[in-house]
Amino acid sequence: MPEATYLDANELVINMGPQHPATHGVLRVKLRLDGERVLGTECIIGYLHRGVEKIAENRTYVQFAPYVDRMDYVAAVTNGMGYCEAVEKLMGVELPPRAQYTRMILAELQRIASHLLWLGTHALDIGAMTPVFYTFREREEILKIFENYCGARLTTHAFRIGGLQYDLYDGFEKDATKFCDYLLPKIDEYEELLSTNRIWMNRTKKVGVLSGKDAIALGVTGPVLRGSGVKWDIRKVQPYEAYDKVEFEIPTGQNGDTYDRYIVRIQEMRQSVRIIRQSVERLAPGPIFGKVGKVIKPPAAEVYHSIEAPKGELGYFVVSDGSTHPYRVRVRPPSFVNLEALDIMSRGHLVADIVAIIGTLDIVLGEVDR
Amino acid sequence: MGLKELLRRIFLLDLVQGLRLTFSYQRPSATYTEQYPRERPPVAERYRGAPRLNNNPETGETLCIACNLCSLACPENLIVVGWERTEDRRKKLTTFTYDVSRCMFCGLCEDACPVDALELTQDFEIANYTREGMIWDRDLLEAGPQPVRYSR
Amino acid sequence: MLQNVLQFLNDHYLILATIKILIVFAVLLGIVAYLVLMERKVLAFMQARLGPMRVGPWGLLQPIADGLKLLLKEDIVPAGADKFIFLLAPVISIIAAFTVFAVIPFGPPDKGFVISDINIGLLFILAVSSLGIYGIILGGWSSNSHYPLLGALRSSAQLVSYEVAAGLAVIGVLLCANSLSMVEIVKNQQAAGIWNVFRQPVAFIIYLIAAVAETNRNPFDLPEAESELTAGFHTEYSGFRFALYFMAEYTAMVLVSAIAVTLFWGGWLRPFASVHWLNFLDYTPVVVFLGAGVVVILGSIKNPVPGEKLFLFAVAGLCFFLAVVVAIPPVNAWIQGVFWFVAKVMVFLYAFIWYRGTFPRYRYDQLMNVGWRVMIPVGLANIIVTAVVIYWWSKPHAAAAATLLFR
Repeated sequence: MPEATYLDANELVINMGPQHPATHGVLRVKLRLDGERVLGTECIIGYLHRGVEKIAENRTYVQFAPYVDRMDYVAAVTNGMGYCEAVEKLMGVELPPRAQYTRMILAELQRIASHLLWLGTHALDIGAMTPVFYTFREREEILKIFENYCGARLTTHAFRIGGLQYDLYDGFEKDATKFCDYLLPKIDEYEELLSTNRIWMNRTKKVGVLSGKDAIALGVTGPVLRGSGVKWDIRKVQPYEAYDKVEFEIPTGQNGDTYDRYIVRIQEMRQSVRIIRQSVERLAPGPIFGKVGKVIKPPAAEVYHSIEAPKGELGYFVVSDGSTHPYRVRVRPPSFVNLEALDIMSRGHLVADIVAIIGTLDIVLGEVDR
Repeated sequence: MGLKELLRRIFLLDLVQGLRLTFSYQRPSATYTEQYPRERPPVAERYRGAPRLNNNPETGETLCIACNLCSLACPENLIVVGWERTEDRRKKLTTFTYDVSRCMFCGLCEDACPVDALELTQDFEIANYTREGMIWDRDLLEAGPQPVRYSR
Repeated sequence: MLQNVLQFLNDHYLILATIKILIVFAVLLGIVAYLVLMERKVLAFMQARLGPMRVGPWGLLQPIADGLKLLLKEDIVPAGADKFIFLLAPVISIIAAFTVFAVIPFGPPDKGFVISDINIGLLFILAVSSLGIYGIILGGWSSNSHYPLLGALRSSAQLVSYEVAAGLAVIGVLLCANSLSMVEIVKNQQAAGIWNVFRQPVAFIIYLIAAVAETNRNPFDLPEAESELTAGFHTEYSGFRFALYFMAEYTAMVLVSAIAVTLFWGGWLRPFASVHWLNFLDYTPVVVFLGAGVVVILGSIKNPVPGEKLFLFAVAGLCFFLAVVVAIPPVNAWIQGVFWFVAKVMVFLYAFIWYRGTFPRYRYDQLMNVGWRVMIPVGLANIIVTAVVIYWWSKPHAAAAATLLFR
């Protein structure tokens, strides 16, 4: 790993962002360059800070739910699910199976949507401009299901504490299975475009290598961790909802490079399809709300609950003082922690690799800055 | 690298299969675009869009009972309900303002309404030239959204 | 009267050349403008979109709107820029791109379809087209900004290395044709009855790849790699100076396609030019114009907007009129060469767009690897093999073997 410039030339300091096409929002990376070779990076964040955690202290538990959708705005359903579950855990509420499976289906659809968006933008960063349109087309179908279910496409506010606000609409099961049948051949198409393409392999293999040990030390989670060969998925190790009742595998990579993370995410989409299919089969008529009162008023206690969001471990630490307002809500966003790995992954690479590495970390600045 | 892999590389087959895919997508039936202002997208029944204050269709009187629950439910405190007491001590709605510019369409007000007076409709074109224009008063809310019909 | 005019033009070569230059220039500008539209449309179709649809029917008037927009925009010069060079650089780029067309034969020279058939045409092309990179380097450097600087550095390295590869590929053709004149190269293909692409397939592929790299097109669009360097060397340019760079890039695309057609695809020659029972192919232009007319008519019937309907009817009428005109035998004979030339160039331009719609972008060091470690050695090997084979064929075989081995 080079520390100094070649022939003691002057270092070139470049500000990549906050307005840059490939920093996925408003990330600012200060690059120290020797020519095109990266000597070091420094992430400067906070351009999208809205004080979500502070807002929580001035809202009731119910009122805060729409705000969490705006953290990772490309995976609003999983955000909302994590928050609702944390508060339910605080209150000791058990969900009826229909609500659990509905949540799982929507969360897995959201995972696919998030991965599709990641794939499109990642490919766009590396210069392939076509996949982004294909993936957005498929994502659109998911958003249509969301819109039919809860009336919003992006910031869905799909779940309420204790269950679901809306029961499934007629034909939801058909839509979900139809989408699964539609998606699988499309994933093959993406692979046809990218997986064996020599340019894609050149650009992603051996780029941004993160060893399993480093990954654990840095605390990265999600596909970034699994790409490094660590088999860790909250859905398996600390099952929530009904994830222990469905069958799926955890895809892992070996080399911890950008290509492996790409393969892991592609495989995860296929596994999500499996989960959706099983969950749809088990949807049975029944209640959609657990035993919660009209007013959400958890006992004075604190709880940490984490779920496997598309980008990694999304945790909520909720402290209650017994009133209707949370005393403190702390969010552990996966993007923020994963972003820490950028420096170690990008040292010694070229400028072009930086965008590939930012892409492969799959960060969303709404979540990093909150 | 096996012989097959080597031949694939020499004859650029990995690139050709991508080219074949993009070429085949040029068929007109593959187009996904909606010509938005010309053709309006179908909107879901449950869509949460511009708010409306419903009237009783028979009498034309407002359904709102001025209970103020929507205002309490709103996370952004953007609903202001004004009322007065009638002679028989009942609440009667006088004013109702709704600041659409701050609304995040979470639907909590709609959920809170006990009489289905406040409703988020399927209209999604709520742009306005002024900030003041985004604050809707009772007349606007009762008239409901007036979707623009485009012609060209 | 006509005789006198022709005599006058013959006597005053400069006037004729000027007229030709003006025609070529105007037609090229039109082609470049509509090439941008074609790129947007073809890319859109590949990406399950429609592309520009709002300006005119199917966005047919989009290039005019784009041009007007760029003309009306403010021409910003950054504070720290080297002003003179900053203003000059895009002009260099576009002049270099346009100048080369002077030696490209668009059709048979005896019908006047070449501005100037100089006997070192190929050298002229290599020399002038490499000047274009000055525009890019100077533009990137004089902006006094980091991203343009990186873009300029990338492009200088890239163009220098791929110029070599393209040159090596061209030498293979040169050996076959025995001449540097573009007209002679086409005539040689006519005489041989076979296009150079079949005699020099390896050289063709090398030239094609180098051509994509030289025009900074995907997958070699590093100097302006959007996701890495925002816009590369022209980040700081705006308004019409940006348009000049833009036009230079597309002109260069047309240029390298024209060169590839001339060198490898038989220039103005019809496919199977020497097969007489295929002479009905001479009427392809008529079919093309008729087909275009029918498509436009169908589109105009479906179009609900009255103004656009009328416009499309006019376009269809023009197409039918042209179809009738090119059916007249003398006109048909006259138009033959240039029609096939343009058609072949279109195929290449389509391929350029097709690559852009499909491939990711190479990285800087990988690009250099491909250039120096693959293309240049293969190009050299191609030259040697070609030279040996030609030497072999030019003599009685035994004697050639003897000379090769024992001389």
